[in-house]
Amino acid sequence: MSTAADIALEREGGALVARLRGEVDMTNASFVREELTSSVPNDAHALVIDLSGARYLDSAAIEVLFELSRRLGRRRQDLRLVVPATSPLRRLLTLTDVGAVATMHESLDEALGRR
Amino acid sequence: MKERRYDNELNTRLRQQAAVAELGHRALADAGVEDLMREAVRKVAAELRAPFVSLVEFSEARGGFVERASAGLPGSPDEPFVPRGADGQTGFTLGAGEPVIVDDLEEEGRFRPSRRLFALGARSSVSVPIGSRERRFGVLGASSRRAGDFSPDDANFLQGVANILAAAIERARSETRLLTEQRRLEEAFRHASEGEARFRELADSAPVLIWTADADGMIDFINRGWLEFTGRTVEEETGDTWVLGVHPDDSEGVGSSWWRAFRRRVPWEREYRLCRHDGEYRWIVGRGVPRFAEQVLVGWVGTATDIHERKQMEEKLARAAARDHEVAETLQRSLLPEKLPRIDGVQLEARYLPAAQGTRIGGDWYDALELEDGRVAVVVGDVVGHGLRAATVMGQLRNAFRAYALVETSPAATLARLNRLLSKEDRDVMATALYLIFDRDTGEVVFSSAGHPPALVVTRDGPRFLEGGRSVPLGTADPATYRDEAAVIESGSTMLLYTDGLVERRDTPLEDRLAQLATVAGVAGGDLSDVCDQVLQGILGGLRPSDDVALLAVRPEPVAPGGLLMCLPADPSALAQLRRRMGRFLQAAGASEQESFDIILTASEAAMNAIEHAYGPGDAEFELEAGAEGPVVTVTVRDSGSWRERRGTERGRGLSIIEGLMDEVEVTPGPRGTSIRMRRRLRGPSGAATDLARTGARTLRTQRA
Repeated sequence: MSTAADIALEREGGALVARLRGEVDMTNASFVREELTSSVPNDAHALVIDLSGARYLDSAAIEVLFELSRRLGRRRQDLRLVVPATSPLRRLLTLTDVGAVATMHESLDEALGRR
Repeated sequence: MKERRYDNELNTRLRQQAAVAELGHRALADAGVEDLMREAVRKVAAELRAPFVSLVEFSEARGGFVERASAGLPGSPDEPFVPRGADGQTGFTLGAGEPVIVDDLEEEGRFRPSRRLFALGARSSVSVPIGSRERRFGVLGASSRRAGDFSPDDANFLQGVANILAAAIERARSETRLLTEQRRLEEAFRHASEGEARFRELADSAPVLIWTADADGMIDFINRGWLEFTGRTVEEETGDTWVLGVHPDDSEGVGSSWWRAFRRRVPWEREYRLCRHDGEYRWIVGRGVPRFAEQVLVGWVGTATDIHERKQMEEKLARAAARDHEVAETLQRSLLPEKLPRIDGVQLEARYLPAAQGTRIGGDWYDALELEDGRVAVVVGDVVGHGLRAATVMGQLRNAFRAYALVETSPAATLARLNRLLSKEDRDVMATALYLIFDRDTGEVVFSSAGHPPALVVTRDGPRFLEGGRSVPLGTADPATYRDEAAVIESGSTMLLYTDGLVERRDTPLEDRLAQLATVAGVAGGDLSDVCDQVLQGILGGLRPSDDVALLAVRPEPVAPGGLLMCLPADPSALAQLRRRMGRFLQAAGASEQESFDIILTASEAAMNAIEHAYGPGDAEFELEAGAEGPVVTVTVRDSGSWRERRGTERGRGLSIIEGLMDEVEVTPGPRGTSIRMRRRLRGPSGAATDLARTGARTLRTQRA
C-alpha cells in the first residue's frame, strides 16, 4: 500500500495549470515538489494548482506549497490554489496560513480570472 | 499401455517414487525380510499395473531359484533349481546384472521365455537383479498380457525396489553372521577356562578377528585373522597402540568408549572403520567383554567383524530414502497452495481437498494479496488435468499472477496477460480462473472470470452470485478478450470463491449444484472457518471429492466503532495504511468528511513525529489507538522516543496542525517513549455548519515528566 498522486499540466494563456489528484504525504512530497518546480516555464505569470481532486495533504505537502511560492516569488510568478468551498483541505490551508503566500479560489475559472 | 499412461506419465513417476520411498522407510524401520518381500511384490503389481510379479532367490545350496513371493502366479515357478546361467529370463537377468525388458516374449531371442508365463498369456515383461554384482540375491520380475508394456522408467522403478530389498536382505544376513560369530566367541570363552594355550589355538583357527586384553586394558593377544586383516605385526597390535589403525574420524569415539567401558567393567561395542592391509578402511563392529575369575577382573576378550557391505547398504538406503522422501515432500509443498497471507482489515480462510483417488496432485490454486493502492486481490484458479504437469503450470500461473497483479490495476488485464503467457508456451494447457479485487473502504468489487464458476456473496439479505465478467478459459484463444465487471458488496458480507470440483458432478446439472451451494452457504454461520467447514460438509456430505476442491472465503472485517489498535513500523510507508484504517474507523464512528480528514491528518502528524523519533533504521514500531465514546473520538499515538518537534523549520507545523484541529491534546513523555493523546467531539455530517464554534472549547495541555 502506498501513497499515490498524479499531476496533469496544461497551459491556460499566461498561466500553467497543474491538476493534482490523489494524496500527498511525506513519502511523495519531494516528488511532487520536483514535478511542479521543473514544469513552470519562465514566461508563465502564474502557477495554478487545482486541488479539487486532491484527497489528502499533510504538513509535508503544505511545506511544498511554501517552498513553491518562494521559488515562484523570485521569478515574480504567482501561486494560486483552487480549493472548492466544500473541500476538507480548506481548514488545513487556513490553519497553516498558506493564504499568506498563495491566493485561494473556489474554482479554476475564478483562479484564471474568467469570472 | 503406452497410450493409456501418456496423460498421467509424470503422475505415475511421482507415485512410483513415493512407493519406493515408502518401501525404504519400512526397510529402515526394520521390517522382517519376508514381510518386505511381500510388500515389494504388492507395490510392483500396483504401480506397474502388472498382473504377474515374481521375486525369486538364487540358492547356492540348492543350485537354482526359489520363489520367495509372487502375485498373480499360481503354483510353483517353472525355473526352480535351474542352474544360474541357464537359458531362462531369470538366469539371464542375474547374469546380465542389469534390467532386462522384453517387449514381446514371442519374439524373444536372447533366452527361452518362461513356459508358465506363456501359459498365463504374458506378452511382455521386465526383470531386474537383486543385489550387487558381488552379492547377488535373486531376481524381481513383472509381466503383462500386452506387448510392449514396460518402459525404461518402469525398469528403473523396479530396480529401485530391488535395491531396497537387496539392502534389507544384506542387513539381515550380516545380522545372522554376527550371531554366529557371537556363538563362536562364547564357545572360545568356555574353552578359555581349560587353559590360555588352548584358547589361543582355537582363536587362531576361528574365521573372525579376536583379541584379548589384560586387566589394565592392554592388548596381550591378537589372533591370526586380525593380523591378516590389518597386515601388521603382533608387536604393532599389542599394547595400547591398536587404535592407530582406526579411521581418524572414528578413533576418538572408539578410544573413549572403550576406556569408559573398561573403567566400568561393562561390555563394549562400537561400529568403526579399521584400516585393512591394502589401505582400505572397512566398517567393522568391535565387541569386548570383561572376564572375571571369582569376581576379580582378569582381562578382556573381544572380536571384530567386517560389516562393510551392510554399512554401505544402510547408508545408501538411508540416503535414498531421505532423498525420495524429500523430493516427494518438496513437490507436495511447492505444488499445493501456500498459507494465505495476513491482510489487515480482511478475514481470509481457505480449504483445499485433494481428490479422493490416490495421491493425485491437482492444479487447483488460490491466492490473496494486498495491492499498491490498498485494495485486496483474491484469485482462484484451476489448471485442467492432474499430475505433475498440471501442478507445474499451476505454480507458474500463481507466480505470474503475483507479478502481473502488482502492475495491472484491472482483473481483466491481468487475466489477458496470464492467457498470453499460457498460449505463448504452445503447450496445449487450459486453465480457468476468477480474479476479484475489492476495496475494503467502499465495498466496491471488480472481477473478471476466465471460464470459472462465479463467486458467491452471502449478504444479510441472502446469497447471490456475482454474475458477469465471463470469458473463455486461459490458454484456449490468443488473443482473447477479458471483461471487468463491477459490483458493490454490503459490509459484513462473505464472498466465496471455489473451483469446479465443489459444484461439478456428472449426475447433477451445474445449475442445481450452484443452487445447492447458495442454499448451504446462505444458512452457514459462525466465523469464517466454520462457514468453510459447513459449506464443504453441506455440499460433499463429508466425502472426499472426486475432483480437487479449493475454497476461498473472504470477509472484509466490519470495523467496530468501538476501537482500533494498530502497531505499525516506524517508517513513512506506514502512513498510507494508517489513513485507510483510520478512514474505515471514522466512517463507522459516524464522522463527517471534514472530521475524518482532520482526525486522519492529526493522527498522521503525530505518527510522523513517532517515525522521526525512531532512532536508527531498525525494527522500531509505534502504536496507534483510536476509540469512540459516544460522539468523542480519542486517538493516541505512542512511540519509543522522546517528544520533540520534528527537525528543520520546514516541518515545524506538525504540532500546530494537531492543536488547531483537535479539541484537546495531551502530550505525555514517559521513560520508555512519548504518547500523544488527542480528542475531538464529532458532530457528524449535519454538524458541519457549527464546526467553527467548536474552536473556542479547545485546550492544550503539555505535561512534563
